[in-house]
Amino acid sequence: MQVLIYGAGNLILSDEGFGVHFVRHMEETYRIPENVELYDGGTLGIMVHFKFEEADRVILVDVVQAEGEPGDIFRYEREDIMLKNIPVKMSPHQIGLQEMLLISEMRDAPKPDLTFFGIVAGSLEPGDQLTPPLQAGLEKVAQLVIEELDKVGIQIERK
Amino acid sequence: MSRITLDPITRIEGHLRIDVEANGGKVTNAWSSAQMWRGIEVILKGRAPEDAWSFVQRFCGVCTTVHAISSIRAVEHALNVEVPVNAQYIRNIMIAQHSVQDHIVHFYHLSALDWVDIVSALKADPKKTAQIAQSISDWPGNSEKEFKAVQDKLKAFVAGGKLGIFASGYWGHPAMKLSPEVNLMAVAHYLKALDYQRKASQATAILGGKNPHIQNLVVGGVATAINTENIATLNMERLIYLRTLMEETRDFVQKVYYPDLLAIAGAYKDWFKYGAGVTNYMAVPEFPEDSKNSKFSLPGGVVMAGNIAGIRPVKDHRDEYLIKNIKENVTHAWYEGNGTLHPWEGETKPDYTDFKENGKYSWCKAPTLDGKPVQVGPPAQIMAAYAAGNPKVKKLVDGAVSTLGLSMKDIHSTMGRLYCRGARAHIMADIALENLDKLIANIATGDQSYANHTEIPKGEYRGVGFHEAPRGTLSHWIVIKDKKIENYQAVVPSTWNAAPRNDKGELGPYEASLVGNPIADSSKPLEVLRTIHSFDPCIACAVHTVDPEGKEITKVKVL
Repeated sequence: MQVLIYGAGNLILSDEGFGVHFVRHMEETYRIPENVELYDGGTLGIMVHFKFEEADRVILVDVVQAEGEPGDIFRYEREDIMLKNIPVKMSPHQIGLQEMLLISEMRDAPKPDLTFFGIVAGSLEPGDQLTPPLQAGLEKVAQLVIEELDKVGIQIERK
Repeated sequence: MSRITLDPITRIEGHLRIDVEANGGKVTNAWSSAQMWRGIEVILKGRAPEDAWSFVQRFCGVCTTVHAISSIRAVEHALNVEVPVNAQYIRNIMIAQHSVQDHIVHFYHLSALDWVDIVSALKADPKKTAQIAQSISDWPGNSEKEFKAVQDKLKAFVAGGKLGIFASGYWGHPAMKLSPEVNLMAVAHYLKALDYQRKASQATAILGGKNPHIQNLVVGGVATAINTENIATLNMERLIYLRTLMEETRDFVQKVYYPDLLAIAGAYKDWFKYGAGVTNYMAVPEFPEDSKNSKFSLPGGVVMAGNIAGIRPVKDHRDEYLIKNIKENVTHAWYEGNGTLHPWEGETKPDYTDFKENGKYSWCKAPTLDGKPVQVGPPAQIMAAYAAGNPKVKKLVDGAVSTLGLSMKDIHSTMGRLYCRGARAHIMADIALENLDKLIANIATGDQSYANHTEIPKGEYRGVGFHEAPRGTLSHWIVIKDKKIENYQAVVPSTWNAAPRNDKGELGPYEASLVGNPIADSSKPLEVLRTIHSFDPCIACAVHTVDPEGKEITKVKVL
């Protein structure tokens, strides 16, 4: 099984870069098996469709604008994203996640299992550091991802 | 009179708001407002100049490579560093492949749905579609079977109500004119195009170590070790794989994208009459061929007031006229004051006032060349290359002009901009391969050098890194003082094009290009999107938080 852990975000707008910080946190803290790929996707949008098409399981990490306190974590599955009455988009401007997944379906590409962990941002000001609640969120999301992988028989150990 | 606000404009990178006033079915006034602040300049102050290229790649998700290139060139210009030709070729290949990828995505995924009606493709006869496609190209993927399969798939999606996800598509709009058969051809290629933009990014990643955000630049060259015998470096096996990827993308661009573009342009010839806007243009030369940056394979130039015959060539990146006369004005931008500053003296002091159409209304500064607004992008580069007599550009443009029954003046338009982007992709695909040939030939002579190691000296240095990026002329301006960044300003292509009014009240290129455009239905301002998308807007900030609460995040407000 090929797993993609996809961290999205803009590293220079503080908490906006959470997904990228997360990928780095995983790299630094854990031994990652060969069939798990950590991917710093930046803010690529549709240009990254192929990463999603190649994996059997995708875990996407990004910030969300949801009701809640900075650092609150939300979990969504593929169906949540594909239901068109919930406009989960990677961007209101770019081509969104829904649209990207739909295009992959139209291309007859395999449909990987998809879990999305979203964390509520505290600050989107220019800066290359996370705010404290998001910094604390790195390890919380890591534990959720590790549990997720454990369910499919992949164990991740601390370095 | 009606007022239309589109906020944000979709299918772009960054957050752009456009306001237009329409009267009698035509746009009479327009405002372009970048809705995000890019604070990178502030982050860079005090950091090491040799690291800047890595930071600036995070300006944006799409144009990562271009900022890296501009930034490294700025430091090299400041310190007068030569770059070994192997490094120039490697950078050139990455630049050209990035352009190919960018243009493919722009044409199919970011702008095609302004012209292509997906739902109409359901009515097409796939056999006729195949006949049309085969009559304009010998690409092997254009069979009746392929088109039928795409159509069947589409039918299933429409029946399942799933197409609604393409929220920004204006199906059945009266301004859509392609036949069902051409629509089906475009939709099938829209889906295929994803494979080829991917091959182009793989090529960039082979050289750059990573994509997005290449990792292989150093001041004075690249960090791509060359040793044809060593499996861990750039060796013959990698170079051959690169060639395969680049040939496949070239064939897609030249045998699919370009013919599709001509087919669409032929059906929308009226769009060569709308959307000219500002007809002052600027392009810098690109693809250095020597270590001193004195010879380039594509020329640059400055055109004022649409006078292509009177073009002023830009020979290299030390052009004094450009370096002296590029400035930025903040009269209508959310920064302190109303002054005009040279980028080396540039300031980033925010002063947000809300949207005031007669005051400050955008985070975008208004760049000027010699005090005037200027449009940048593929039309500028194509005009410069055409005027300089570049044989390939001349052949392509003359061919298109004669096939479509146009004149060179028609380049100043919405469709002209789309055409030039396609012509540029056509050329870029060849340039990438030419640079690969040059790289292999040069390595074969025994030259394996790829960087001139450079220490940042003490003292004060100023530099500018010019790069002709997919969206137009990009420049990064750096002031280095005692080994640290004292000041940093980026004047990006979309700042030129998305500029608000300047100190003289002259409209920026997006704004000017909208005035005079038709508006068939003010609740569905497709024509505004067509013109704005033709610039390939990229607001260089790339905030993209997810909003799962079902809030309306794109709105068209008609007052």
